[in-house]
Amino acid sequence: MPDLAIFGFGPGGWGLALLEGAAMTLLVSACGLLVGAAIGGLVAWARLSGRRLAGAVGEAYAALFRGLPELLIVYFVYFGTSTLLTETAALIGHEGFIGVPAFAAGALAVGVISGAYQAEVYRAAFLAIARGELEAAVSVGMNRALMARRIILPQVLRFALPGLGNLWQVALKDSSLISVTGLTELMRVSQVGAGSTHRPFAFYLGGAVLYLVMTVITTRIFDVAEARATRGMRRAAA
Amino acid sequence: MDLDFISRSFVRLMSALPLTLAVWFLSVVLGALIAAGVTWLRVSGVKPFELFARAYVLVFRGTPLLIQLFIVYYGLASLPAVRASFVWPVLRDAFNCAVLSLALCTAAYQAEIFRGALLAVPPGQVEAARACGMSGLLLFRRAIFPIAMRHALPPYSTEMISMVKATALVSLVTLWDVMSVALKIRNDTLVTYLPLILAGAIYFVVNYAIGAGFLALERRLTPHLRSRPA
Amino acid sequence: MPVQTPALTVEKMHKSFGRLEVLRGISLTANDGDVISILGSSGSGKSTFLRCINLLETPDSGVVTVAGETIKMRRRRDGRAEPADRRQVDRIRSELGMVFQSFNLWSHLTVLENLIEAPVHVQKRPRAECVEEAKALLAKVGMSERADYYPSHLSGGQQQRAAIARALAMRPKVMLFDEPTSALDPELVGEVLRVMRALAEEGRTMLVVTHEMAFARDVSTRVMFLHQGLVEAEGPPRELFTGAASERFRQFISKERG
Repeated sequence: MPDLAIFGFGPGGWGLALLEGAAMTLLVSACGLLVGAAIGGLVAWARLSGRRLAGAVGEAYAALFRGLPELLIVYFVYFGTSTLLTETAALIGHEGFIGVPAFAAGALAVGVISGAYQAEVYRAAFLAIARGELEAAVSVGMNRALMARRIILPQVLRFALPGLGNLWQVALKDSSLISVTGLTELMRVSQVGAGSTHRPFAFYLGGAVLYLVMTVITTRIFDVAEARATRGMRRAAA
Repeated sequence: MDLDFISRSFVRLMSALPLTLAVWFLSVVLGALIAAGVTWLRVSGVKPFELFARAYVLVFRGTPLLIQLFIVYYGLASLPAVRASFVWPVLRDAFNCAVLSLALCTAAYQAEIFRGALLAVPPGQVEAARACGMSGLLLFRRAIFPIAMRHALPPYSTEMISMVKATALVSLVTLWDVMSVALKIRNDTLVTYLPLILAGAIYFVVNYAIGAGFLALERRLTPHLRSRPA
Repeated sequence: MPVQTPALTVEKMHKSFGRLEVLRGISLTANDGDVISILGSSGSGKSTFLRCINLLETPDSGVVTVAGETIKMRRRRDGRAEPADRRQVDRIRSELGMVFQSFNLWSHLTVLENLIEAPVHVQKRPRAECVEEAKALLAKVGMSERADYYPSHLSGGQQQRAAIARALAMRPKVMLFDEPTSALDPELVGEVLRVMRALAEEGRTMLVVTHEMAFARDVSTRVMFLHQGLVEAEGPPRELFTGAASERFRQFISKERG
């Protein structure tokens, strides 16, 4: 049985560091999810627009980022944006390497991946809205902006909740890959702790427990939100 | 950026593809076997078995694969009890650890796919089979499995592709897969984009082929779900 | 004249779901060639009765005998009844042909494959023979041109006719029909009833749970009226339908007609 003192909150204890890592994980995952929401919304809109070029670009985006390993995307975004930044700075005379902050690169990477899947969730949610409700909105004289804001968006969000809950869990797990950039999220902290104390089993297990706790708690939150939001509404799927 | 460099990099990456595919294939097959067991426990009707199966799925789907991989590769190797046991010769090897860890993870996802597929079998058709005198293994083989399997194909295809992507993580436990080679080329030559793009292309083509393969299989097996050709 | 073994006998069948006793002691004897219509309002237990005969539901007590062979039952430790011999149940089921309200054709198999599935895999008969017989049966129910169709491409009436052919393919001693036309659109009911009538005229032994009064009156050899788990009236259709037998039955028919 590993000595649990190493998890304590005293001077030699890693408890605080692990919790801070968990907080960082939650933060970067949330930011990633938001970036993904923006991208996903855009791609869904492109695919639903009916315009062939936009639709094709949207589909290509989704296909591309669903067919590439997440780790590869993390490296690509991290190294790629750093290189881009360095070369851009070189153009204006700056010497030396500029690294993009790991948090930004990490959130962007998670967002880029999540966006591809969120697009599908939003697209399905939109298609689930009864045509009749949109007709009713038009017939009372709503313009497109008003209809989008008052009728479409609220319903899309409600239908999308189950899918989004799932994608949040995915984002939480994908965030562990950001550890390769050095960001001190939970995975990285576990890694550092394991190396520092030569207790890999304890630290990785402890980290896993924290991930599990985060997953379970946030799943419950999503379930409650879903129940609240779909009160009295028919379900999107049978 | 010369063509020679591109082709040399490409060849190096392709030479690592067999390892990637080997890890993928073995972990998927082992995972399927474990998943079959977990599913069997889940539908057994015995409460403790069901709880174990549900806990298994919760743990392996609720934690990142990377940390699971590190627990198996770094964590287990550090325990004196493991080093002294009969499994040590197996777990010493990074390849085995990787396959085991990936298999345990995919098993949780596959178990959920199997469970959903079983639930999708129309009970009336199972009843009709019973009414004809089928039971036990025959009932499963002829009435339940064929229908469940067809329902499982689309999500199974997605999971197969997820597993290919998951193999990239083995680059972090000292295995020379496509991902590792791409990073090495980048480190050696300081060329940022090209190795990653080439590696990405290779992964993409593999995933595309798997997706297309499953789609073809679905087409062949489910003429009853499409409209009748005129 | 030698006493003929009845095709099917049921003695004093009881069945409860929880505290609700659905079958309160029902008995029945069906000789070869009998066509028995089982009528009753919903909740009278008629479907349950049929499903207990081939043990899709397990009766709490009662003896079922098919062509002289009695289904062996035993009591579990918790007092509930269960069949004693699984193999016997499978065998007897293969001698009873059941036609369901929701057809229950196997969706991944063509009509022809549906017909030969049980003969080949349960009765272990040679495939070629089963295919031959299946084709003849399909002709009999008017489904020859649709042998290679999948159930999802057929209308309800076509599916049910195929399901009847599937039951016939097992060479059953007794056929059990569980509300065969209740799930059909009205225009499709006729084609199924015509097939059933032809089978009756052939001399098949049939038990039919139904709401189709005309069929019960014109085609059956006997009518059984169930009310709240008991046999309220039983006899030749003439007797029951002319009101000679039961007041309750009179009320029942007038409600059905209305």
